Amino acid sequence: MAAPASGPEAGTPVPATTPATTGSGDLGAPLYIAWQVTNECNLACLHCIEESGPGKAFPDELSDEQVFSFLEQAMDLEIPYLSFSGGEPMVHPRFFDMVAFVCARNGQLKIETNGHYLGPENCARLKSLGVKAVQVSLDGATRETFNRMRVRGDFDRAVEGVRNLRAAGVPIEINYSPTRFNAHEIGAAVDLAAELGADSFYTGRTMYTGNAVKTWHRLAPTEAQYGEYFEVLHRKTEEYRGRMRVHFHEMGLLEELRYRLHHPAALLIVLPNGLVKLINALPFVCGDLRRQSLGEIWGRFQSAWADPRVAKFVEDLAEDPRKTATLHQWVYL
Amino acid sequence: MKLARYVKFREEKFGGVLFETRSEKVFTLNPTASAVVREIQAGAAERDIPSLLKARFRDDSGAIEREAAAFIAELRQKGLVED
Repeated sequence: MAAPASGPEAGTPVPATTPATTGSGDLGAPLYIAWQVTNECNLACLHCIEESGPGKAFPDELSDEQVFSFLEQAMDLEIPYLSFSGGEPMVHPRFFDMVAFVCARNGQLKIETNGHYLGPENCARLKSLGVKAVQVSLDGATRETFNRMRVRGDFDRAVEGVRNLRAAGVPIEINYSPTRFNAHEIGAAVDLAAELGADSFYTGRTMYTGNAVKTWHRLAPTEAQYGEYFEVLHRKTEEYRGRMRVHFHEMGLLEELRYRLHHPAALLIVLPNGLVKLINALPFVCGDLRRQSLGEIWGRFQSAWADPRVAKFVEDLAEDPRKTATLHQWVYL
Repeated sequence: MKLARYVKFREEKFGGVLFETRSEKVFTLNPTASAVVREIQAGAAERDIPSLLKARFRDDSGAIEREAAAFIAELRQKGLVED
């Protein structure tokens, strides 16, 4: 009755997939849009892949008119799931208007935030608007590691924000980026997330791009650390089964990109200025919402993935993994 | 019966997709399954859906009726619908 999007036929079994594993070729629109609403941020994290920070908003970020035109197109195309990230999405002056717009059209919306603007009043607004979940980055189980990673950040304030979400009844997700100085806290961090009432916990490998290029010597976990890291996560997955979902990606970037070349996900990454990327971990841009409709961009998405420059970049990564340092030098397909 | 709170449905040329956004799982549906979901969204009673589809698809063999009933059971088992 149900099958992967690439080959639906009556009577086949029912494999569940995720947006990341759903073939996009036969779909009339994306299943998921991840929108970085602004590059502005109150923090300046050591590992930030977007190099966000105070005063780092792009000069050409979408205007209010362009923002709401884009959201209207997304809702008209019945895109079931969107996320707002950044930068810090909650510093965008129209943040709550954008949330209200999507939720009023029954879009399922996730907010990805550093948790520093989650006072009781904002959490109550998010609850009343009906967001699907709020994901908070908590890269440490202690004040020391969190504050070291999240420059200008405050562990206590982020944790308080999560507690406020819980009190307001907003579903909570926790995100954790591993480094050589916080990887050992992963078990305690998963426990903390559960204690705070999180529904899900997400982590993977930290990417060599953005701010991490400058700080890699202080950040990069060793392979031995990653080995222990994922071992703990396997245990925690079992420990919390049925109470909190623990999601983690052990796969290295190269393996993932090689898979994506043949199985592009039904996902668009939208940058603050309306450029649309194939995937965050590649520099390739397949559209511009300031000049093209969302439908037109989706129409080009498959052929853009097939561009030989994409495959070449991925294979070059095998020779030189540090090519990810150039992800912000966009290549227009 | 209705789709569960975190489940979204979209029609596609091949049928449709159900997206459970909490677990982020996607289920790709053939035309019969999509027709079942459309009936659910239209407010049809669960017990009436198989016969409605049998009539709509003019299927005298009973195959679609059985397929629809099995799919409804599967939706329940996976928590994709609620009362």
